[in-house]
Amino acid sequence: MKIKFNIRRFNPDDSKLNEPYFQAYDVEVTEGMTVLEALLKINEEQDPTLAFRKSCRSAICGSCAMKVNGFSKLTCSLQVIPEYKKKGRMVIEPLANHKQVKDLVVDLNPFWKKIEKVTPYLTPMDKEHEERSVSEEDEKTIDQSQRCIMCGCCNSECNALEIDSKFIAPAALAKAWRFVGDVREGDKKKRLERLSEEHGMWDCVRCIHCTQYCPKDVAPLKQIEMLRSSAMKAGILDNPGAKHVEAMADSVRRVGRLDEAAMTFKTLGFLRSIGMIPFGLKMELHGKMPLPILFPKIEKIEEVKKIYEEAAKQGTEQEKKKEE
Amino acid sequence: MADKLRYAYYPGCASQEITKEANVTTRLVARKLGIELHDMPKASCCGAGLLTDYDYQLYIAINARIFAEAEQMGMDIMTICSTCLMVMRTANYNLKTSPELLAKTNEILATVGLHYRGTVEVKQLLWVLAGEYGLNNLKKKVVKPLDWMKIAPFYGCHSLRPSNALGFDDPEMPQSLDKVIEALGAQPVDYSGKTKCCGFQVDLVAVETAEVMTATRLLDGKKHGANCFVTPCPFCHINLDNYQNLAEKQVEKKIEMPVFHLSQLVGLALGLTPQDIGLSRHLVSPSRILR
Repeated sequence: MKIKFNIRRFNPDDSKLNEPYFQAYDVEVTEGMTVLEALLKINEEQDPTLAFRKSCRSAICGSCAMKVNGFSKLTCSLQVIPEYKKKGRMVIEPLANHKQVKDLVVDLNPFWKKIEKVTPYLTPMDKEHEERSVSEEDEKTIDQSQRCIMCGCCNSECNALEIDSKFIAPAALAKAWRFVGDVREGDKKKRLERLSEEHGMWDCVRCIHCTQYCPKDVAPLKQIEMLRSSAMKAGILDNPGAKHVEAMADSVRRVGRLDEAAMTFKTLGFLRSIGMIPFGLKMELHGKMPLPILFPKIEKIEEVKKIYEEAAKQGTEQEKKKEE
Repeated sequence: MADKLRYAYYPGCASQEITKEANVTTRLVARKLGIELHDMPKASCCGAGLLTDYDYQLYIAINARIFAEAEQMGMDIMTICSTCLMVMRTANYNLKTSPELLAKTNEILATVGLHYRGTVEVKQLLWVLAGEYGLNNLKKKVVKPLDWMKIAPFYGCHSLRPSNALGFDDPEMPQSLDKVIEALGAQPVDYSGKTKCCGFQVDLVAVETAEVMTATRLLDGKKHGANCFVTPCPFCHINLDNYQNLAEKQVEKKIEMPVFHLSQLVGLALGLTPQDIGLSRHLVSPSRILR
């Protein structure tokens, strides 16, 4: 079966073509052939100048991540024929949110810088804790975050990174949980404080692209959620992200619903809320200003309050068990 | 349709306040289509993802309490909010796939005399229209085809991902909203932003990111020829409509793009008036594209 591959190319050394362009290649594909194998075939039979990264061909090294028909994939574990049959096309582009260096190769330096930022190694505890054994249960909490092969698919899909290049982004955040969640780590609180800064973990927009497109099921969003609740439990609350969550938890406990006016006020604080007044008035013209007082409660709100108490009790019991 | 469709109706917090028009319109549309919506007076907020950051077990238990109410009513839940959909379906998926979690959660529910067996499904209006109700049945009800409209379908994140818990549409090539637009006689516009994020979750946390993101999505649809947007999610609507003006200022570009709730678009095609569906509540007036 012959399939047309449309590949987004770029060569910075070619003065005539200093802009990315698409080039089409007709490739004879066979049952079971992967996208990476097809690219290698193009390399061998049609165009030795086509540049792309690859190494293990077994979804272990993480080198061959690219965008296939708009979404980031490991090309070594994606078969051509099913993908083509589903989408009716075969468009290959470099990872997004990174600078294209040549053809399908991107500059991963910013990716590594972000990983370095979260100090990707254990900080020892003080002398009293010279040895700390790790139980199977302990390992389970960080197991998923350890599956990362640094392919960059999550950062390529991350919508917050698309807009804010300073955002720490999912790969580094999943890596951060690997150490924050480790029972041997000595500097948990300091790590969580750093992660709570601007462009840090609270800037995640919860678009769930990272979890959807991670080829190794690292589920970065889940790791981000665990970082966030750990930070809040550690009392790191003086930032808009944590305040927002606290306001939400408080609103649900009080009235069972999201009290938008109270949440805005608590998240932004007094001064920034005053800045919102002109906008609030404009909303009010259209009847869109949420009720700031006497928010109606749901029926049986006492059940919700009791559930809050019981969940907290379960949490404390678990912590106790862990310490024992 | 063999039986009449009946749902435990969960409009979500946003549509009980800021986006009331979506709630009002959904009730009118359901009546016209013959879908029964039953109120859930005890149902709390699902936590909108934020409760997940606060305490995982609490998030699961609060949602299980909502499911228990629907289970007692003997109905599946229909929401009109994609974030409620994602949050509730993820909780439900986790409860249904982990007997241990279900048992722990029922311990908590037992203290308020409740129990969840795990028999409820959570859907949203979009899925009901494109699924159980059916596009052909919807087409038959159209009295005013919207044939002059070129509409950018904005699926948003939470009706698509994570696909293991959601599963109705393919997250890479969703069809449902496009098909509903076609069934109403209008033309869907294809653009890459249709599966991306509106920025709502960081509206108060990373303001610039949220505003630039909103503008980027709207400009993307506009560039591809859309004369309006439609979204199944009230939070997407808040960003795309309420905050459009702030987004315009942030990127220093005029956008002026009317944005409809899914229910409003269906309502228009079924013959409801702009007053019925609360269009005066929008900050970007859709009047210029109405006929």
